[in-house]
Amino acid sequence: MLKRFLSERPLRLPHFKPYVPRPSDPSIFWFNSERDDIVSEVVKRICAAHESDRARLEMALNDAAFHEIRRLEKQRDQEARDRLGYWRSMIRRIGKMDDTEQRRVLHTIVTNMTRDVAGNFDPRVYRFARRAVPRMVGGIMEPRRLMAPAPEALGRVLKVQGDLEHLRYLQNEGSLVFVPTHSSNLDSIVLSQALEISGLPPTVYGAGKNLFTNPIISFFMHNLGAYRVDRRIRVSLYKDILKLYSQVMIERGYHSLFFPGGTRSRSGMIERRLKLGLLGSGVEAFSTNRVRRVDRPVWFVPTTINYALVLEAETLIKDWLMDEGEARYIIEDDEFSQIDRWFAFFRKIVGMRGACIIRFGEPIDPFGNRVGDRGQSLTPSGREIDAGGYVERRGKPVLDPARDGAYTRELGEVLAKRYERETVLMSTQVVAHVLFRDLVQSTPGMDLFARQRLRGEIGLDCETLCQELGEARDRLRELEDQGRVRTSDVIKGDTPRELLERALSIWNGYHNSTAARLEGDRIVIGDPSLLLYYQNRLVPFAEAIASPDQLQAACEIENLGVHR
Amino acid sequence: MSLRIGVVGAGGFGRAIALASARHGHDVVVWSRKDRELPDPIRMSTDIGVVEDCELIFVAVPARHAVSTAEQLGEVVDGRHLIIHVSRGLIGAELKTVTQVIRDKTVCRRIGALAGPLAADALAEGRPSGAILGTGFPELTEMARDALGGGELRIYDTPDVVGVELASATVGFLMVVLAYAQEIGAEPSTLAVLATRGMVEVSRVGQTLGAKEATFMGLAGLGDLIAAVAGDQRPEFQLGRALAQGAKLSNARGKVGAYVEGIDVARHMMEHARRLGLDTPISSTFVALSEGRINPDDAIQALMERHVGKE
Repeated sequence: MLKRFLSERPLRLPHFKPYVPRPSDPSIFWFNSERDDIVSEVVKRICAAHESDRARLEMALNDAAFHEIRRLEKQRDQEARDRLGYWRSMIRRIGKMDDTEQRRVLHTIVTNMTRDVAGNFDPRVYRFARRAVPRMVGGIMEPRRLMAPAPEALGRVLKVQGDLEHLRYLQNEGSLVFVPTHSSNLDSIVLSQALEISGLPPTVYGAGKNLFTNPIISFFMHNLGAYRVDRRIRVSLYKDILKLYSQVMIERGYHSLFFPGGTRSRSGMIERRLKLGLLGSGVEAFSTNRVRRVDRPVWFVPTTINYALVLEAETLIKDWLMDEGEARYIIEDDEFSQIDRWFAFFRKIVGMRGACIIRFGEPIDPFGNRVGDRGQSLTPSGREIDAGGYVERRGKPVLDPARDGAYTRELGEVLAKRYERETVLMSTQVVAHVLFRDLVQSTPGMDLFARQRLRGEIGLDCETLCQELGEARDRLRELEDQGRVRTSDVIKGDTPRELLERALSIWNGYHNSTAARLEGDRIVIGDPSLLLYYQNRLVPFAEAIASPDQLQAACEIENLGVHR
Repeated sequence: MSLRIGVVGAGGFGRAIALASARHGHDVVVWSRKDRELPDPIRMSTDIGVVEDCELIFVAVPARHAVSTAEQLGEVVDGRHLIIHVSRGLIGAELKTVTQVIRDKTVCRRIGALAGPLAADALAEGRPSGAILGTGFPELTEMARDALGGGELRIYDTPDVVGVELASATVGFLMVVLAYAQEIGAEPSTLAVLATRGMVEVSRVGQTLGAKEATFMGLAGLGDLIAAVAGDQRPEFQLGRALAQGAKLSNARGKVGAYVEGIDVARHMMEHARRLGLDTPISSTFVALSEGRINPDDAIQALMERHVGKE
């Protein structure tokens, strides 16, 4: 009961004296004073879009009632007992309502939903979190150094790459939208830490409502600017509200963050198909501002989060292989919800230099163009252009949702390509790829699922494997020189044998199953599905790093990315 | 309302677009590497900068010149410009579409591909015809209809841009195959089987590149093929006939007088399909035939002996 209460109405600290933001504070410090205005703006625009057309209005109300009844009937919980009656009664009355009544009901629904989405930002919680989170994580990693002044372990483990100076300049000139790859529920925590240590601003971000089920996490999420996204709600109005809320925030200059992959990459592959809803909110924010003659640029920052060890790897790949990604869109029983797995995970990575690398890629404007030092949009040859031209028609900026939808699709494609370029390959991923490729090569004609059953049955000569590992690394270096991908310092510095042993020591002891093990001068594949998960990061590069005799296996691996 | 229209390329299609646009009362300027004569009020220039003031730009150059043309355009255009290209080809082994090339080399994003059974002379003379515009931008369709449509040209649209371009390019190859088969005396039913199974084959490959099957069965694919078979004098047909008469590929190309890309497209498509483990019997057989590696009898036998299954 208490848990539900807290997740429905997250705690806020009482305000004895209202905080007055200083000019140097990041934009989000102004959020609380603008919160009600933002909610009203969203409600006003959503209602205006529906009220002029009775058929549309009636459809929206019917859709809301239908989907909410369906959801609540399945849920059969306290929320269902509280709300089901309202929706059932409403759906019976919609046809009989006059225009005024329908508008009033729409306004109520939209207001309630928008309030449920809107977050809060408490500078006190922010200051506490920026001190406490690194210490807490550092403490889990090295309990004896819990009281040390600086959490060294965290600094060792988390590395940040990218042109930070450029981003620090842009944060004062427009709205930054960070769009990272998504592998783990730890991503938002790790990323907020990366922003903090890089001198980049805190952001507004959408967090799945499942993250609000833990009262402590819910408290922090709610008070640090997160808005709640309840993926169980299928109502069209709700989706419009989420998108518009994000858009209004970006229009007003709040830096934002969302994961365009939508959910964690189940396969471990670099995201290729991106969800465009929230991405489009950045594009539409830009055009809306331009139409209103507000010159506030929007820049997207493709960001990759690269882990040598992924907390939830086993659950994610199992889910992918079961092909139940849709059914288990919200996984609530994975390693993220098990505190002992957190401890095991952090204790495992404590000794690992650069176990997590956050790479902030070059920012792009909403139309996929490079951004110069002063925030100007550039052509491939470096000519400066006015990004406002993209939303002009016959010389005037105009709103055109269909056009912006097309720009968003193109932006999604650009981001997917950027993710490949900005991915930093880790030792475990490269070792897993070479092992998995050998597994594919030694089992011609076998399908992906049959291969998952070959536990402990395939042994490879260690020396040959190290040689292949060395060759793969050399080819990856060539790709890195061409700007197609990046590799971690560990990959650059270790010998193939060291890489192999490092990967084995990272996997074994944390994951419940053994990915691979050394037996004398042979290496035996233990759990092909774990190898598959880690190697999937290299799917786009499989063919480019294969020797001629490995080409067929590499093609088969690359096809994993085409068919899924 | 009069539009400022730029046409890049003054070949058959570029000229036809310029004439059609001018006929509809638009202000038209044509860019070409060489100076050409065009009727008033169409302006002509060899300076690519003339398209800078245009709202809509038609790119009408062969696909093999698309990269260099896009590079030149990239120096003068920006986000304000809307571009429609009419090239029927793909670039390189990666089967890159012309839209992708324009997108890579310029900062224009509002791009469309005009294809289908549209013939240059019909467009120039204003005879009733139809075409398909692949674009994600509805405003581009509106503008294309304003520029060329009128009562003479029905321009349908689809958001499947890559589908339109792949269908248009691969159908060019099927035209060569059909002309070859016709020339060696294939029965109408054989031609029908080749055409329909060929469409299935190219659309299967196209789908792996993001195209939709329905686009191949529409104006950009089947529609274009029907126009060619119905007697539209396409260079692809001339190439197919010349090959069937025993000419070597290079000689046949010389005889046609136009660079037909169909065989190159088929070769790259086969390579792509092989990597994905897809079967492309018609393309593989015809490429071998055009390269003189097998003779027509062996080609027919190889195709007829294949396992036959459900459609």
